[in-house]
Amino acid sequence: MDKKQLTKQVGAFWAHYSYIVVMFVVMIVYAITISANGSSFRWSHITAILSSQNTCIIGTMAIGMALVVLTGQIDLSIGSSLVFTTSACIVVFNITNSILAMIAAALVVGAILGFINGALVGLAKMPPFIATMGTMLIYRSLSLSVVRSMDTAISGSTSSQFAMLRANSKYDFLRFTFGTGKILSIPYITLVFLLMVGLFIFVTKMTKYGKSIYAVGSNEKAAHLSGINTTFIKVSVYVVTGLLVGVASVLQACKLGNVTPASSGKSYEMYAIAAIVLGGISMAGGKGNLLGIIFGALSYTTVNFIIVSIPSLTVDIQDTFQGLVLIIVILIQTVSPVIKEKAHIARRRRQAEAEGKQN
Amino acid sequence: MKRILEMSHISKAFGGVKVLTDVHLEVNEGEVHALLGENGAGKSTLMNILSGVLQADSGKITFLGKDYYTPTINQMEEAGIAFVHQELNVINDLSVVDNIFLTRELTRKFGLIDQKKQTQKTKELFESLGVEIDPGAMVRTLKTSEKQLLEICKALYTDAKLIILDEPTTSLSNEEIDHLFGILSKLREQGKSFIFISHKMPEIFAIADRYTVFRNGHFISSGDIKDTTPRDITSDMVGKTFVDVDMYEQRELGEEVLTLDNLSGRGFNNVDLSFRKGEIVAFTGLAGSGASEVMQTMFGALPIEGGSITYKGKKLDGSIAYFMKNKIGMLPTNRKENSVIKDLTILENFYIAEHVLSLRKPVISKAAEEAKYQEQKEKLRIKAASSADAITSLSGGNQQKVFLAKWLNTGAEVLLFNNPTRGVDVGAKAEIYKLILEFARSGKTVIFNTLEIPEVQKIADRCVVFYAGQVAAILDHKDVSERTVMNYSTGIQSQR
Repeated sequence: MDKKQLTKQVGAFWAHYSYIVVMFVVMIVYAITISANGSSFRWSHITAILSSQNTCIIGTMAIGMALVVLTGQIDLSIGSSLVFTTSACIVVFNITNSILAMIAAALVVGAILGFINGALVGLAKMPPFIATMGTMLIYRSLSLSVVRSMDTAISGSTSSQFAMLRANSKYDFLRFTFGTGKILSIPYITLVFLLMVGLFIFVTKMTKYGKSIYAVGSNEKAAHLSGINTTFIKVSVYVVTGLLVGVASVLQACKLGNVTPASSGKSYEMYAIAAIVLGGISMAGGKGNLLGIIFGALSYTTVNFIIVSIPSLTVDIQDTFQGLVLIIVILIQTVSPVIKEKAHIARRRRQAEAEGKQN
Repeated sequence: MKRILEMSHISKAFGGVKVLTDVHLEVNEGEVHALLGENGAGKSTLMNILSGVLQADSGKITFLGKDYYTPTINQMEEAGIAFVHQELNVINDLSVVDNIFLTRELTRKFGLIDQKKQTQKTKELFESLGVEIDPGAMVRTLKTSEKQLLEICKALYTDAKLIILDEPTTSLSNEEIDHLFGILSKLREQGKSFIFISHKMPEIFAIADRYTVFRNGHFISSGDIKDTTPRDITSDMVGKTFVDVDMYEQRELGEEVLTLDNLSGRGFNNVDLSFRKGEIVAFTGLAGSGASEVMQTMFGALPIEGGSITYKGKKLDGSIAYFMKNKIGMLPTNRKENSVIKDLTILENFYIAEHVLSLRKPVISKAAEEAKYQEQKEKLRIKAASSADAITSLSGGNQQKVFLAKWLNTGAEVLLFNNPTRGVDVGAKAEIYKLILEFARSGKTVIFNTLEIPEVQKIADRCVVFYAGQVAAILDHKDVSERTVMNYSTGIQSQR
């Protein structure tokens, strides 16, 4: 009896918090590979994961993606949006040398890009996949064509990059005090990411707006008949995503100091989706906890680190492993109820046939 | 006469709610067997078990001498059982021929489809049945009745021995019904059997040979149609207690609060009605009568196309949220599709509509919400363990009560209930009637849409009968009877 109860409890924990288990398993594997390399697993390994751009920048954008996915939609443009907003905020910084102007530019531009997505999907009723695929192409290509023709005194670099001007007086503060700085051995940019997750856990759990996001994703018709303005909700999550892309672009600028339109942020939308799926958020909409994003993003980064730490593996094979981890984790989540159901029916069938024979 | 189907001791529960308890069904060769019962009696569930869509929790199916316990859809199809669903399963973008031969195409060399032979076979089949449909036509262009016949033909082509017809006449005209019945009779002579699900008595007595009645998931009676009367079958269907209990009470009604003035909208025209404070008004009408559409228009869920809606001297027109702000609430029909937000908890489902009205305070106060919920839970006698449980953990009746509470909680003075008792068990139905009476006593105006006349007799002060998008009659409580309402709702009679 006790054993049964225990398995039930373990099952319930797995159903709600599988992302925590996943992260610990991945961490343990990482620790093993490190010790196999002859060194020992230290706190610095963990802060490296925490401060990685995969965790902080993709993680911040993944919060927006999670909101979009919770409403049953998708945003493929976030990687390109990141390039566009980072370009814009670097240019503004180079011209003004003002931190506030830079942040404002990132947020405003991000929100506009998000609103364009939202308007296409929510107002023009286009399929989200197609609409955001279109803007994904547009946003990146616009940055690319601008960088080639811009005066290097404003773009801050050669013809292929936007870079923050070292000559600006705020450069050192942004890049070194904030961008790569730490407090209590936790990087500032990690704190920004955690702060954003905390803020949006609050929004989704404790505000009426948050509940309506879940309602729209779970049953749009019922949400509409409850008086919720479903179009507003569906457009707004794209705008919020744009704002979060703005935040991520400030992190990108401060951590790396530059952005390369041709290559920066490529496939980030896929990595963000991977992070939220590993974080236990359902792609079908309406289900999932934003807390999972922290663990999802960490798991995802750690898998990268594991691959890098194994000398015989090249970077080229990285995506294969990431893909495999993703498929395995999702497989466990989708297959276990099917197996359970099959086992139940088989048991039923045996019982029924046994009864049939008795009669 | 040869018995071809025997279903015995079948039970089935969904998440703790028993929908079938130890039921039986026997069908002979060459007969039309009427399966009768109210909405929620378990007919569809049993048919889904028979066709392998659902698995019974216990019991046995014997078909053509072979035993099945938990068959799959394919097994039952191969055995010779075909299911013509109420919502037709034809593919609109294929031709008639392609639909009939879908997944069993006749082929020539290299697996190419032999279109000629398929068309020929289809023509032969249609001729033998007297069906007049162009085999080459796109299914999209067919009338509903033709689609229905197409489904039956499809089943016959697979050599089905037993065809289940789930309310096949709902959207058919009288001539079309006659035509369908002619074809059924012909097939019956050829030894085919039918299970015919319907609750229209005249049809059953015109076509069926034998019948089985279910009530609330239980087997009630079975026998030859010629040995019974519509009255007996009806009382088997609704049960004694159901007909006898009279809870109606005459009440003092308040002033007129809501008027529809020459209102037109999707599927209805020129509706003039007025409602008083504390009044209970029933809307009724067959599918397509416009009753449900009028209700949805009164809530902003469908657009006003002409005329006006006035509540306490103010003309209303706008979004659903606008109507909610003006004290109108609507419980939609089809709970699962339109009310249940399955990923939210009971408390969240309860509060989701109120949130729309209180957006000025964007942050939720959980303690206050919980207290409010507990108060309503007490008042509406909702049986639920924790408010943090999933809404889907509740029985149908309790879910519906949560949604009633959800609308009360918006402070609505006019409550529109569209089929509030659909898909809930008899006990919960009675509870819902009591609650509606309580709401009215406390000064709310309740308008409910229903297809079940006993419901109207139980609680309504007045009954508005719709026919073909118009008000056919407004009946006072004492004038409501099954026969009068039927006459008005089928257009046999009209007050105006």
